[in-house]
Amino acid sequence: MHPAGLAAAGTPRQRKWPSKRRIPVSQPGMADPHQLFDDTSSAQSRAYGTPQGPSGLGYPTASASPQAAFLSDPVSNMAMAYGSSLAAQGKELVDKNIDRFIPVTKLKYYFAVDTLYVGKKLGLLFFPYLHQDWEVQYQQDMPVAPRFDVNAPDLYIPAMAFITYILVAGLALGTQDRFSPDLLGLQASSALAWLTLEVLAILFSLYLVTVNTDLTTIDLVAFLGYKYVGMIGGVLMGLLFGKIGYYLVLGWCCISIFVFMIRTLRLKILAEAAAEGVPVRGARNQLRMYLTMAVAAAQPLLMYWLTFHLVR
Amino acid sequence: MAFTLYSLLQAALLCVNAIAVLHEERFLKNIGWGTDQGIGGFGEEPGIKSQLMNLIRSVRTVMRGKKKN
Repeated sequence: MHPAGLAAAGTPRQRKWPSKRRIPVSQPGMADPHQLFDDTSSAQSRAYGTPQGPSGLGYPTASASPQAAFLSDPVSNMAMAYGSSLAAQGKELVDKNIDRFIPVTKLKYYFAVDTLYVGKKLGLLFFPYLHQDWEVQYQQDMPVAPRFDVNAPDLYIPAMAFITYILVAGLALGTQDRFSPDLLGLQASSALAWLTLEVLAILFSLYLVTVNTDLTTIDLVAFLGYKYVGMIGGVLMGLLFGKIGYYLVLGWCCISIFVFMIRTLRLKILAEAAAEGVPVRGARNQLRMYLTMAVAAAQPLLMYWLTFHLVR
Repeated sequence: MAFTLYSLLQAALLCVNAIAVLHEERFLKNIGWGTDQGIGGFGEEPGIKSQLMNLIRSVRTVMRGKKKN
């Protein structure tokens, strides 16, 4: 957890330094220009030591002398230099290769949102019935950032909604005296597992039906993450108004998400002709329509499954 | 609920193992899913069955590792 806490054997002062929690107390401050961590040289610790009172006065002097003795040792000097150069190399390596594992530049597109977009998108998630144009606008072959087009998928709302769902689940469990901290982790893990399973199932079925779509995996995660918004609404209403409120709001959100998913996925999965509203009679398009409906129908089911145990 | 990421990992591992142990000659040929039976013409739609057969063959090839001499 926090190495500072471990090294200090639980003195209360450690918890009053929130910004320096990452640094083990026994390590002397690094004056290296490539330093990754804040400088916690003994001067600062002494400055913190004096306001603390008599119980703390012994501490900084006790930590200063072993630190001073540690610093003066030439072997430890070399070790410190070696360690800091290793850290700098590691940092460069990570910076160069991070793009291979996590597409950071692609992810930035999904977080280019602003308040107006979030407001409009939330409104669309709860009431998608009046929205007419569901196409994402393109600009020079690239989809426009979510900031400029309300139809573009983003990852901000799903990420925030997921975290809020975990917190609301904790709140709901707490009001029923069923809360314990590991349950939060269990809820998070369970919801993530269902999300992963959904993404894999949809990718697998897209592969089987050989759909040529520009629906990327991250797009899919974004679309599947929109249901957490409805789940939060349902659980909160269930906390305020009991089971009736929960079922009403959840039913409304389920139907809204169903319509939202069908209208969004229809443009991505089905062929161009069918997307304009003309029902094309071909075995292929029918299969794709079934796939879209199955994906959209799975959303209300999962919304119910992940929240019904929270509202009693 | 106890449906965790770890159980998902276990399930995925078991599924991959299940695909890897399907024997080509004794089983897949008997139900018509052998690799030399499926690949039809170069038509536009491969169809679900041929996609599945391709998938099984790919998984088995990847899982086979280095060929022993």
